[in-house]
Amino acid sequence: MEAYLLAIAITALVYVLLTLGLNFQYGFTGLINFGYVGFFALGAYASAICTVRLGWPAWTGFAIGIVVPALLAWPIGRVALRLRDDYLAIVTLGFSEIVRLVIVSEKDLTNGNQGIAGVPKLFAGVAGPGYADGVLAAVLVLAVVLVALLMRAIVKSPYGRLIQAIRDDETALLALGKDPARFKTQVLMLGAAIAGFAGSFYAHYIGFVTPEQFVPIVTFQVWMAMIMGGVGRLRGAVVGAFMLLVILEGSRVARDIVPGVSEVAMSSARLAVIGLALILFIRFRPQGLLGIKRD
Amino acid sequence: MDLLWFDYANLALNGLAEGLMIALPALAVTLVFGVARFPNAAVGDFVSLGCFGALAAHRATGGSIAASLAGGAAAGALGSWLGWKLAFQPLMRRHGLALLLTSIGLGFVLRAFMGLSFGHEIQLFDVPLMKALRFGPLLVNPIDAMVACFSLVCMGIVFGLLRFTSAGRTMRAIACDMDLARVVGIDSRAAMGRMWVLSGVICGVAGLALGLKTQVSPEAGADLLLPAFAAAVIGGLGNPLGAVLGAICLGVMQELSTPFVGFTYKIALSYVVMLLVLLWRPQGLFNRVQGVR
Repeated sequence: MEAYLLAIAITALVYVLLTLGLNFQYGFTGLINFGYVGFFALGAYASAICTVRLGWPAWTGFAIGIVVPALLAWPIGRVALRLRDDYLAIVTLGFSEIVRLVIVSEKDLTNGNQGIAGVPKLFAGVAGPGYADGVLAAVLVLAVVLVALLMRAIVKSPYGRLIQAIRDDETALLALGKDPARFKTQVLMLGAAIAGFAGSFYAHYIGFVTPEQFVPIVTFQVWMAMIMGGVGRLRGAVVGAFMLLVILEGSRVARDIVPGVSEVAMSSARLAVIGLALILFIRFRPQGLLGIKRD
Repeated sequence: MDLLWFDYANLALNGLAEGLMIALPALAVTLVFGVARFPNAAVGDFVSLGCFGALAAHRATGGSIAASLAGGAAAGALGSWLGWKLAFQPLMRRHGLALLLTSIGLGFVLRAFMGLSFGHEIQLFDVPLMKALRFGPLLVNPIDAMVACFSLVCMGIVFGLLRFTSAGRTMRAIACDMDLARVVGIDSRAAMGRMWVLSGVICGVAGLALGLKTQVSPEAGADLLLPAFAAAVIGGLGNPLGAVLGAICLGVMQELSTPFVGFTYKIALSYVVMLLVLLWRPQGLFNRVQGVR
């Protein structure tokens, strides 16, 4: 039971990181990124490739997993940020699919559909195998706190006011002589770096990576966590991510209680719950649980 | 192995068939975008719904293609209309993102519904095997030819409706300027309802086409979503003819690129083309520049 709760906590913390990054992009700057899972995948694969295939130490995976997504976010920003919101959504969604297709195809590097197994657990050497997950959870809490503090510092700074102004009235900002595209690109890059960071943790925790783990639905789960918690609220990311995990895991627990339900049926039911929650939240509580109502 | 000219011609023909099939969901995407102002991410799942509707009618009537066409169109239209009534209509005055996210949620619900009611096993249309039609060195799969015909006829009807009927005119008026359309007395709710039914019918026909060409499963249609988006963006969102031409271009290009980039990357090609088009002509290939983008 404790191991199970710990597993949920670690997954939830990874989602908290992802939600923080997405909240930075959408909640504060208004960028509709539907390809968030692509950056997450890049971080996870960076760690897996560095540690398993190249035999490098884990920190190199983290470093590459943060830098590469940020660098790849740059051209996307250049292309899409001159366009309307809907286009950014479609372009980023396309980007995450390209990432997945590249992972599937470049077998020499990624081992294709089989994925890469045996990503080492972090801290197994330091804490002993039994306590590695506990230490990982503690480190993740620390990482979440640091990222949240960083976000808070950014949001409260003049720079933060500027990006929120982009969200609220881009034309006014243009009239003041600022270049919104530049700031949006920076926000996109920083958000991507956070996703990559979360991806590295995820790969080390789960222990294997396959392209199947990085399908678009993950992006929308993060969106859901953000919406449930509260768009533009840092604390909301924590609440939302844990609520998401309750929904995802609740359906798994329900399967143990209700007999005779197949795994496939349950995964369908889970999809229905996610979809319904998304629809209902947007309709009745678009500001989320902790959000502030804005027009 | 060197490919001869007719190998390329055959690839182009395959691409044409593929493009004509993607043209239908692309048309549905662009129609919804033009009138309701958001990219509808549930389009792929309406296509799957049409797939199952067509399959049910096909089995019930012992293999009548006309009945499957009706079944697919009915299932697509019903799903689309219900989606409009239950999910989209209450949000009509909200920001486009609320509608977009709702369409994603609706897509999940539909996929889950289909998974629970019809199962996840891949099902096939029981159609007799037919020999490929030969024109010299050129081969045409009769199924492809049939699918292309459905697609062309469906598009012809849609364009006729949009161009020559008063229902089509009101839809175009709303697409052009919603407020102005209301001022001159157009019942925008009714017109929206008709638009959703029309887009559902298109998806339903696409469902039959997809089912005949490939297979039937709850996820089958969702895989068409991104190509359809790409085609609609390339043609210019909101431009029906652009969406169709964009889809055909993409289909032909994808197939012709297969010998060079392989099977997986040909899918990525459509996104890359989309990105290039957005760089070069952000309004799409066939749209005029509008004031605000």
